Amino acid sequence: MVPRDSKPAREWFARLWADLKASTDASLLAILRFVGLLYGPIDTRLPMGAAFRKALRHRLSPEAGWRQAFGGIAYLLFMILVVTGVLLSFYYRPSTQEAYQSIQHIVSGVSFGWLMRDLHVWAANLVVLAALLHMARVFFGAAYKPPRETNWIVGVLLLFSVFAFGATGYLLPWDQWSYWTVTEGLDILARAPIVGGWLVRVLRADPIVSGATLSRFFAIHVIVLPWLVLGLLALHFALVRKHGVAPRVSGTRTGGTGVPFFPHHFLRMVIAGTLVVAVAVTAALLFPRPVAAPANPAQPPGMLFSTWILADVSRALIYYLGGWGFGAFLLLGAGMVLLPIFDRSPARRLRRRPIVAALGVLFFLTFATAWGAGWRLRSVPTATSGELTPFQKQPTGATPGAPLPRIAPASRPATSGSDTTNPGGAP
Amino acid sequence: MTTALTALLTATLLAAPAAGRPAPARPAARTAPTLPAQVPGAMADTANGCLACHAAQRRAATEGVHAEHGVTCVSCHGGDPAAVTLPRGHSGHFVGKPDKAATAELCGSCHSDPDKMREYGLPTGQLAQFRSSKHGQLLFGQHNTDVPTCTDCHGTHVIYPPYDARSRVYPTNIPGTCASCHSDPKLMAKYHIRTDQFAQFRNSAHGVALFQNQNFAAPTCVGCHGAHSELPPTVTEIASVCGRCHVLVEQEFAKGPHGAAARAGKLPGCLACHSNHGTERVAADSISATCDRCHGSNSQVHQFAVDIQHRVVQATADIQSAERAIDQMAAAGQRVGYYRFRFRSGLTYFREIAQKQHRLNLDTLDDLARRVRSVSIDLDSRAKATQESRWEHRLLLLPVWFLSLSAVALALLALRGLRKTNRDSDSSGP
Repeated sequence: MVPRDSKPAREWFARLWADLKASTDASLLAILRFVGLLYGPIDTRLPMGAAFRKALRHRLSPEAGWRQAFGGIAYLLFMILVVTGVLLSFYYRPSTQEAYQSIQHIVSGVSFGWLMRDLHVWAANLVVLAALLHMARVFFGAAYKPPRETNWIVGVLLLFSVFAFGATGYLLPWDQWSYWTVTEGLDILARAPIVGGWLVRVLRADPIVSGATLSRFFAIHVIVLPWLVLGLLALHFALVRKHGVAPRVSGTRTGGTGVPFFPHHFLRMVIAGTLVVAVAVTAALLFPRPVAAPANPAQPPGMLFSTWILADVSRALIYYLGGWGFGAFLLLGAGMVLLPIFDRSPARRLRRRPIVAALGVLFFLTFATAWGAGWRLRSVPTATSGELTPFQKQPTGATPGAPLPRIAPASRPATSGSDTTNPGGAP
Repeated sequence: MTTALTALLTATLLAAPAAGRPAPARPAARTAPTLPAQVPGAMADTANGCLACHAAQRRAATEGVHAEHGVTCVSCHGGDPAAVTLPRGHSGHFVGKPDKAATAELCGSCHSDPDKMREYGLPTGQLAQFRSSKHGQLLFGQHNTDVPTCTDCHGTHVIYPPYDARSRVYPTNIPGTCASCHSDPKLMAKYHIRTDQFAQFRNSAHGVALFQNQNFAAPTCVGCHGAHSELPPTVTEIASVCGRCHVLVEQEFAKGPHGAAARAGKLPGCLACHSNHGTERVAADSISATCDRCHGSNSQVHQFAVDIQHRVVQATADIQSAERAIDQMAAAGQRVGYYRFRFRSGLTYFREIAQKQHRLNLDTLDDLARRVRSVSIDLDSRAKATQESRWEHRLLLLPVWFLSLSAVALALLALRGLRKTNRDSDSSGP
């Protein structure tokens, strides 16, 4: 029912809006600030509208520019992961009976469920990349030096949280690849000195990876880690704002008062964000993660390949360099993490700190090489199908006198074809 | 009182062995007057007295199926296990080391007795079967000692049952047991018998099933030749021997033209195509070549063989493509339970082709091949639909990139404009 004379109604709405603006605490803008839509300090004494405009006009340091984009991109990818993760959790069921079926339902039954899932998978990969690039920028740009060393440590904790996110999320589809990759990963972890055995007992909750492990991983993935990361992120951002953007290696740019957050910096954010979303969607569309055979604890699959960067890297390191190579790389990583705490010299130029530069280059080069190599390592021959035998010749390898071949019963997962063919070729 | 009991015990022990076990009677009678013998359990101590000298055979007293069931040295060898001197120990019903023929008779003295074997559920026809076998004929008829007797296959003192993996007649050990003589060229040369059976068997379909897949339903040597009545099947028997397991294949074979020829003895049954010890599967693409081995490539049969081969090759390709289709759908996250069910029915038709083609009737084959084909086409089309819907997803890339590139372009333009105004205001500023 539209009143014939709309004037009183319009006045009523105008009054409501004015009351709302007057009664709303400007500190609410801190939420916008937290999610990155606002940059400056919030003047909470002002009314909402004035505080908002003031925050928009806030002038950023002249150092802020494209170099800082990777951190923001990692954060955007994390937000994509949160959104797609919540959508997935509407349909996912964390039990050994239903997990696999619910993934099938998400991929083939729910509208755009396939997009949610593949976007989640791809954002999980890209976030590692973005975080590492961000880390490299901070490392080589000497942005970790005092007074920002606390933020370096927070950043490292965030990186580990991202790794833990990936490792726990990897089990959830409950298919052969996830099951056996996690089994393998936990077996490697169990060999870590001192804490390894205990940690694996706590994580696995059972002698083998089982329903108890799935519940535990699910709880860690959707309850523990999100809150942890949210807390760490708040700290990370608060520290960034407290200390400001690090000066350039070549020295502080003098002069210039910087650019206002809106619209200059906001436009850059829009550009980077749009491209990241477009890339993630493209990757998800072109290289969907195939659904492997359902997890079968009694039968390892003929071929095991991961769809997660870290598994690729560690597999390549172990395959080509052996356990010692892997351990050496971990030590190198630990050195990378700890070095900024001890490196307190004011020197910022790379030429002035050759050890740091060499360490960083070695770490990031090894990581990139191992990732590429691990990606190619997937072509492991698969077990042959034992199903279609009536007209196939049996292999005639055995020779009399030679010891009898003891071959396990033809290992053939329910969908062996999905092991041999990887329609998407997703890493 | 004691004397009366001893007398009773002695009488019982004397009477009991008369029924079956003659050997322990005398030792029991002799030890009866001494004190330990009044305790029935003490018999066990004196039963293995032979081991005092024959220490090498001591495992026989504790291991193997005979030790478990109270068969001791004297049960087979006689003598007196309670004796302390050699002459006395080797006295009485002393058998010593029996020759091969006597060994068979000795085993048969218990194993051919239904009353004794009833307890263990064992058959009692082994000795009779052995007499009728080639081995038995040579042993009993010609006193030929090249042939094996019971102990050569089952073991001498420590005898394990056939279901014990240590036994020489455990399924995976049987071919090796037979081969210990039948792969010996020097021994077999005397009888003009080939020695390559074991090598052939090992690579055959049966050998692979037995050794590699541990499938004990697969026949070993004794599956076709008999366990105790070893004889090669005659030409006309072959199809029946194979048909004991391959029942349906044999039925189809018997209905076809080859079946009639085999019954008339003109064709060595299944062996004509599949060979004997090297039982080979005939690959789909070598069917016509197999037919040509006998019929020649210029005969009328050749075209018929090519027709059969064509159908089998086609059906193989169809069923494989159906399987690939299911795998594709599964990898795309589709629920494939129903499609698997459909595939199973196709697989049943496909296996029926393997069976029915022994009848050599093209119409039957055509019918089955059509059914396989229909399953394959159904699943293929469904897989294709899945693939197409996935391809359609990619169309989403167009709006995504159009919108994002436009947004980026607009933002870049705006940035450029802002920089220009900044520069202008800087230059015009104070």
